Amino acid sequence: MMMKITVCIGSSCHLKGSREVVEGLQKLIADNGLKDKIELAGTFCLGQCQTGVNVLVGDERYSVTPETVTSFFEKDVLPKLG
Amino acid sequence: MTTKNELCADIGYLSINHAGENLCGDHVEKVETDDSLVIVLADGLGSGVKASILSTLTSKIISTMIAAGLKLEDCVETIAATLPVCSVRGVAYSTFTIIRIVENKRAEIIQYDNPKVILLRDGENVEYPVERLEIGGKRITKADIQLKEGDIFIAMSDGVEHAGVGIIYNFGWKRSDIIEFMKTFIPVGFTAKTLTKILLDECDRLYDGKPGDDATVCTVKIRSRMPVNLMFGPPAKREDNDIMMSQFFEKDGKRIICGGTTSTIAANYLKKQLIPKLEYLDPEVPPMAEIEGVDLVTEGVITISRVLEYAKDYLKDNDKYEKWSCGRDGASRIARMLFEDATDVNFFVGRAVNPAHQNPDLPITFNIKMRLVEELSDCLGKMGKKVNVTYF
Repeated sequence: MMMKITVCIGSSCHLKGSREVVEGLQKLIADNGLKDKIELAGTFCLGQCQTGVNVLVGDERYSVTPETVTSFFEKDVLPKLG
Repeated sequence: MTTKNELCADIGYLSINHAGENLCGDHVEKVETDDSLVIVLADGLGSGVKASILSTLTSKIISTMIAAGLKLEDCVETIAATLPVCSVRGVAYSTFTIIRIVENKRAEIIQYDNPKVILLRDGENVEYPVERLEIGGKRITKADIQLKEGDIFIAMSDGVEHAGVGIIYNFGWKRSDIIEFMKTFIPVGFTAKTLTKILLDECDRLYDGKPGDDATVCTVKIRSRMPVNLMFGPPAKREDNDIMMSQFFEKDGKRIICGGTTSTIAANYLKKQLIPKLEYLDPEVPPMAEIEGVDLVTEGVITISRVLEYAKDYLKDNDKYEKWSCGRDGASRIARMLFEDATDVNFFVGRAVNPAHQNPDLPITFNIKMRLVEELSDCLGKMGKKVNVTYF
């Protein structure tokens, strides 16, 4: 089954580094050869600006920063792929 | 100018100063009344302070008097009687070009010296007939032209024709050279301001960056009206959502929606999908989104801040033109739609406060948002757009 990762690109998350998070995830997905397993999408404000950058894995929300994107991917994304 | 038909005038003017001078000896004044628009380009004798005073007085006096409906003879005589006489040369002297556009239907061009105004119609030069008059001992030419959509009038001071004298050309570039040069840019559809900048940049180049005279260009482009509607922010009261949306969507013209929450509300209202993109076409401008039936959907405050930056620059030297004129990001697209396409801009501004944004660390608070709208509408007004702001 395809996994969907959605990154908030609203104003507040943008200022907190959505672009770096998106680029980080794009690279990680490509490097791990997971392009056909993970769909990466954007969303506007999720109403949780305090914890940005907000990232959804399926319906579950995570707080990610440009610095934590790799550990987030290893800890919260890869295991879910099974 | 109140709309009397579908046409309107897009005006742009700029000057470059005589090398080493801080003040420009040329001056452009623009006055609008209910049924007419008067533009005066005056070139004061010499350069520097004295020339600047002469041309400012001349253009101010003429534009005010013509706009008030006074006779041309009276205006010219007033000028002759008012201008201070130059102690060196013993004359009071400022040449002028008056372009008066009446009801967006016809243009009167009145000139005292100054290079003859160029008229480009359907991409070709038109040598229109002029009537010669003598008023107060001054030889004046007068022309009356029926306007057509796409007409481009280029008024200039003689510093434009003299560009390159002794450097690249022996006698400056001729009127016909200027016409040929400008003709190549007409099919692109540049605004009056951009055409002006293109011509002046070429003059500056011909002068080798050291203009031997003040040079001023004023371009008037006759075009049809195009309203652009921009919605920014959700309404203060949730129950006003439908009123705001219905007013926005019933307007004629192009539509831009800025802000994530605002676009979500709009998509719900239209019962269409909101599709955010993930493409960063400019690293600092957030990605756009799509809603069927809306010309452009972007993020709010950060994008609009960038548009405002472009607007301020456009009104000054237009140095960032290359950035926004071909950029594919949200801010560049909004800039093109507002600065180039629009003749009328209608803002629909929601006053909702996003609690998550009221953090002093974030440059996107409510006050900043309101200030952005005020400054941007002010800039667009200065560009000659008819701006209307409605708050919800």
